[in-house]
Amino acid sequence: MSLLVAENIRKAFGSTLALDGASLTVEPGEVHGLIGSNGCGKSTLCKIAAGSVGADEGHLRFDGREGFFGTPAAAAAAGIAVFYQELSLIPDLDVAENIALGHEPGRRGMVDGGAIHREGARLLARFGSSGGKGLTPGALVRDLSADQRQIAEICKILARAPKLVIFDEATSSLDGDQVQIFFEIVRELREAGTGIIFISHRMDELFAICDRITVMRDGRTEATLPVATTDREAVLTLMVGSALATRHRDEAPPRPGAPVLEVAGLSNAVLRDVSFTLHEGEILGLGGLHGQGQSAVLRAIFGADPSSGSVRLGGMPHARRSPAAAIRAGLGYVSGDRGINGVFLDRPILENMAIAHLSKSRAAVFRPRAFVERVAGIVARLNLRFAGYDFPLRTLSGGNQQKVVIARWLATGPRVLLLDDPTKGIDVEAKADLYAIIDELAAEGVAILLHSSEDEELLSTAHRVLVFGSGRIRADLAGEALTPTALYRAAYEVSAA
Amino acid sequence: MTEAAAPAPESRPPLRIRWALAFVVFAVFFAVNAWLQPSLLTARVLTSNLTSFLPLVLVAIGQTYVVLAGDIDLSAGAIIALVNVSVVTLIEQAGGSGGAIALGLAAGIALGILCGLLNGLLVAVLRLQAIVTTFATSIVFGGIALWILPQAGGSVPQAYWRGYAGGLGPVKLTVILFLVALGTAILFSRMRWYRHLLAIGGNRLGAFQSGLAVTRQRVISYVLCGLFAALAALCLVGETASADPLLGPSFTLTSISAVVLGGTALAGGRGGVIGSILGALTLGLINNIVFFAKLPYVTQDLVKGLIILAALAGGILGARR
Amino acid sequence: MRLLRHPLVLAGLAILALLAIGEAVAPGFAGAGQLRSQFVIAAMLGVIAAGQNLVILAGREGIDLSVGAMLGLGALVAGNVMDGDNAMILAGLGAAVAVTGAFGLLNGLGITILRIPPLVMTLGMAGVIQGLLIILTSGRPSGRAAPALTRFIIDPLVAGIPGLVFVWAGLAVLLIWFLRRSRAGLNIYAIGTNQEAARLSGVPVTATRVLVFALSGAFSGITGFLILGYTQSVFIGVGNAYVLPSIIAVVIGGTPLSGGTGGYTGTIAGAILLTLLQSLLNAMAIEPFGRQIIFGLVLIGLMLIYGRQDRLRV
Repeated sequence: MSLLVAENIRKAFGSTLALDGASLTVEPGEVHGLIGSNGCGKSTLCKIAAGSVGADEGHLRFDGREGFFGTPAAAAAAGIAVFYQELSLIPDLDVAENIALGHEPGRRGMVDGGAIHREGARLLARFGSSGGKGLTPGALVRDLSADQRQIAEICKILARAPKLVIFDEATSSLDGDQVQIFFEIVRELREAGTGIIFISHRMDELFAICDRITVMRDGRTEATLPVATTDREAVLTLMVGSALATRHRDEAPPRPGAPVLEVAGLSNAVLRDVSFTLHEGEILGLGGLHGQGQSAVLRAIFGADPSSGSVRLGGMPHARRSPAAAIRAGLGYVSGDRGINGVFLDRPILENMAIAHLSKSRAAVFRPRAFVERVAGIVARLNLRFAGYDFPLRTLSGGNQQKVVIARWLATGPRVLLLDDPTKGIDVEAKADLYAIIDELAAEGVAILLHSSEDEELLSTAHRVLVFGSGRIRADLAGEALTPTALYRAAYEVSAA
Repeated sequence: MTEAAAPAPESRPPLRIRWALAFVVFAVFFAVNAWLQPSLLTARVLTSNLTSFLPLVLVAIGQTYVVLAGDIDLSAGAIIALVNVSVVTLIEQAGGSGGAIALGLAAGIALGILCGLLNGLLVAVLRLQAIVTTFATSIVFGGIALWILPQAGGSVPQAYWRGYAGGLGPVKLTVILFLVALGTAILFSRMRWYRHLLAIGGNRLGAFQSGLAVTRQRVISYVLCGLFAALAALCLVGETASADPLLGPSFTLTSISAVVLGGTALAGGRGGVIGSILGALTLGLINNIVFFAKLPYVTQDLVKGLIILAALAGGILGARR
Repeated sequence: MRLLRHPLVLAGLAILALLAIGEAVAPGFAGAGQLRSQFVIAAMLGVIAAGQNLVILAGREGIDLSVGAMLGLGALVAGNVMDGDNAMILAGLGAAVAVTGAFGLLNGLGITILRIPPLVMTLGMAGVIQGLLIILTSGRPSGRAAPALTRFIIDPLVAGIPGLVFVWAGLAVLLIWFLRRSRAGLNIYAIGTNQEAARLSGVPVTATRVLVFALSGAFSGITGFLILGYTQSVFIGVGNAYVLPSIIAVVIGGTPLSGGTGGYTGTIAGAILLTLLQSLLNAMAIEPFGRQIIFGLVLIGLMLIYGRQDRLRV
């Protein structure tokens, strides 16, 4: 009997449909790979199995027990352990305490500090010296590096002796040695009859360790393939879907413009020596796996995060002191994480549009009528419809909210637009409108730096694409070389451990 | 995973003293106090100081549990007021016998727990904002206290305050109470639920995903705060032998000052009870110092205010490293 | 139905209900004479709540517990500058605003640069100012209002309405304009709704946050000046009774403690509502404790209506 059966799961967050028709079956003693583009619903599916997110529809059976879990505690008690991509560690507890969290050894409600520590040491010992300096049972999690935290989260799972383990991007920060040790552990778990769900963007890892692979796309399960009888191309094809064949843009910009943005040796916590030049009227795409430095480049140029290196804007040095300074220099920044970085949900639509223009103009007084005249053309151009400028932004759909943010920047008349995965979580129609306006702006001479987590969007919009991996530019694709396969190869295979 | 490596020699829990900074601050103020008031180092003066600091120490302990879980209790002082007047009134009405005293003590503790439970339900179960909600319950608790006893007055039987002022042989009861409170706090800090409290304050979602009972633990922290506030109220009754509905409220903010001074972050998850005890003692010492420094009477409040503000700012900056 | 849940509508309905109950319990409660004196009292609360409103709107657990002490300081400074001299009224006001504004600025700097939580910072500041007041006055009332100021505040100016109410109305118009039409006002809302998005839109986050605390100090100073005019001389603890009501007026008026939404129109309604509630409880001969309990319960009830926080499980 299968260990885990999830069938036809459906889940919406507000107006965004995260899962619809997602299914997954895991056998005991099986390593089951789960792959799909960013935002295809892998993590949500796993969180539903683990009880930390509720499902709207569907069916779940785990270890003979029917029904969804109401809390993570219930799922943990039934034998499910999760490696959370965003980690579930407590920064001010030490590694051993984190590993034991929720099932501390001891009697009568007391904690046996020695036993916790010994158990932590025993589990950490699996990684030997590969964890590096400072990874000790007594180290506070807040003092650990990214890979050390992932090792701590892995140990936290092992301590629970679960029947099913979900590893969500458990290897994303690990180096080659650490990944090999992790694989040994996974193989031991498999021998012991544990079911394992392994989510990774690294194709090599999936093929190295998995028995079967399930491919998800747009919240739906596409297929489940035995590794023995499939290959990477087949998986790629399923992931990319029918869009694989099409590439709308196949030429360079109509006329090569003058260099606008010259970036040289940009480095910070995420970036390693990034250099490129962006021209007038050019749409330069930033691609690669999730979180490899694409956002970091945009934020560093915008002055939102500190960085070293040189950036020249229109030939002049651009100091990157603050977003306010960048706005006055003619930059604009649109983030796909609207909730965090973009919108003022409870404020009127008009204020949402005006805020950056006010900062740039430094006017002390806001004149709504004059501003409405200023943006009326932009609103029409964006195909943006709403009941009135004084309605709270909250009343709009995600796509229209993002259009309001775009309008905010167009109102400032920018020279360079930094687009940070701007179409994340918005509907197809709004996406089309956004890409139409991006094309138009470029044609008018605005230089555009576009990060998208969807390769199809890069292929159909960008003139040239820089593929990022581990904070560096891994490939610079343009013209004939810019093909869907080249993009996927650069992203998925080059970055394998 | 049977071939686990033998535990390394150094594999013992590290000794992490979260209250080191608070202790240094306490020691400095203690030294200044001893310099200004040489008699501080006698057993009699130390004991009397401890007696007058004890109520604040107790509330600060209770407040710490709430703050560690990432919440705040602005009603702690009002709970003290309510328990204070309730206990005195109840003992009076029950005839003032030994049985009445026992009844009063039990009722006072139960009342504190009940108030804490109400706070916990409103904040953790109904998910209301901790600051305004406990502020609102403090208004209600304070109102009920005024209802029971509109102004200071009443008296408890001799047995109550004599007993409170007494002791076991040469050791005063208040010293024993302090040591018991300290011991309990240390014991609690080794318990499982305390670990979970730190986890919830440090990363609420992570704690939830790790299977901890987040809501229940937050309610428990409020109940503990109510309990310790009630104990503080009982001590105040012993000290003053009467009731005063206006005695409690100032304890709310002072207890928060003690907690912050003790190195516990208001954001939760970081710090501990021993620091808060030291913080409470430090606040008491600041009072002494301002008194014994023979400053002109009118400047005492300002100097006290400045020292506390500086200590709070220093504590926050120091805790951030 | 949706309209009924709007805080302003709720507060308005509550005001009408209070007036009706008051008139039933004590005839004359909703009469012109009574209303006039209610408005004078509400105006004091309304002005001090204006500063509190700005601080709370700017979010990040913004709260100002030093407004009471600032009020006392403002009254003291104004009283000593005026000292009963009609010619010094504006100088008194200016001095009060400058001093309390400066202390508010210190609050803002401590909160932004030293990153001390607002609750702790303003609480500590209240203690410092209280101590300062004791030094300056030795605990005795000090300074006198100018007679012309007292007449302006209490005596009917136009249509039987005292000057103070016009002052409040003028301040209200200014403040509402400031919040809706000035860049600084929009910036306050922006940092209160989403500080990171505000920063990325070029809003000077730190300067704006310092500004709201400075303004809160200044509004407390103005309130001190007005209360001094109303009662002619004040004792230093006069402001303590205003700290909590200033917060409640803001919350009842529909500005949640989390900030970012709401505004001064609601706070005006909140101040009137609170004043009426208090005087109704007086008129019903309810003891002080009863008033207090009802106050607390009303506040908890309001939290239940719009104060719920998100669940951990989505």
